[in-house]
Amino acid sequence: MHGMVAGETRDPLTELRRGVLEHCVLALMRHKEAYAYDIVRALSDAGGLVTSEGTIYPLLSRLRRDGLVETTWRESESGPPRRYYRLTSHGQRTLDAFVEDWTRFRDAVDAVLVE
Amino acid sequence: MDADVLVRDYLGRLEAAAAVLPADRRAELTAEVREHINAALADAGQSDEATARNILERLGSPDEIVAAEARHGGLPVGPAVASAVEAPSTGSRWGAVEITAVVLLCLAWPARYLPFGLFLWLACTMIGLVLVWASSAWTTRRKLTATTCVIALYLLAILLTAPVTVQCTTGSQSQPCPPGGPSPVITGS
Repeated sequence: MHGMVAGETRDPLTELRRGVLEHCVLALMRHKEAYAYDIVRALSDAGGLVTSEGTIYPLLSRLRRDGLVETTWRESESGPPRRYYRLTSHGQRTLDAFVEDWTRFRDAVDAVLVE
Repeated sequence: MDADVLVRDYLGRLEAAAAVLPADRRAELTAEVREHINAALADAGQSDEATARNILERLGSPDEIVAAEARHGGLPVGPAVASAVEAPSTGSRWGAVEITAVVLLCLAWPARYLPFGLFLWLACTMIGLVLVWASSAWTTRRKLTATTCVIALYLLAILLTAPVTVQCTTGSQSQPCPPGGPSPVITGS
C-alpha cells in the first residue's frame, strides 16, 4: 500500500515502528478507556515507539473510521470535555490476533539473530 | 518569543498544511493538537518558551502530521497521492502526438507513389520522427528504436529497389525488364 520511491533508503526501524504502532495503541486501551494525550505519552515513554507525537492523531482517526476503537466525551475538571478511547469487539479481536502473530514473529527473529 | 505566540504560529502552520484535508477533519485535527499542547503544558506545570518549544518539537512538524494523515487514508484525493498513482499510467498512454507519429510514418512510404511523392515521403518521415521525439509517453530508448527502424527500413527498401533499375538500364537491350523486376543475379549473368 505504501508506494516505495526508487532510491529512497528505508530505515528498517521506521518501517517496523509503523507496522506495529497501531497495535500498541490498541493495547494501551485494552484494560480501560484512555485519553489521547496519555496514549501518546505512554508510547513516547516506551523507548521511543513514536518519534513525532502529532502523527498519532491521524492514526487514531483511522482507527475510529475502521471501527477498531470508539470514543466517548467526558467532562474534565480543567478545560473542555475530553475524548476517551476504548476498544470495540472488532478492535479486541484484531489486537488478540496481533499479540499471537507478534509473539511467533518475535521468537522467530530472535531465534535467527541469536544463532 | 512568548510561548503563546509559538503555539499560535504552530497551529497556524498546521491549519495551512491541513488545507488538503476535508474541512471537518481539518478542524478536528487542529482541535486535537491544540488539546494535546494544552494538556502537555498543564502536565509540565509551566508555560515558558522553552517548555512550549519542547512540546512542539516532540509533536513533529505540521507537514509530518498531515503526511501521516495521508498515509492513514485521511485524504480522499490527495494531490501527492493522486499524482503518484497516475504517473506510471500516463507514462505509457498514447495521445494525439503518438497516434499522428505512427500514422505519418506508416503513410510515408506509400506516399511516394502519389503526385509530389518524394516531397510527401520526406515530409511525412520528418514530421513523424519529430513527433516521435516530442512524445512524452515513450522513453528515449523506444524513440531511438523507432528512429533506427524507420531509417533501416528505408535503406532496405532503397537497396532492394535500386539494383533492379540499375541492372535493367545497363542490362542487355534485347531482354526488357519484366514488370515484377528481375533479380540482380539473373540479369547480371
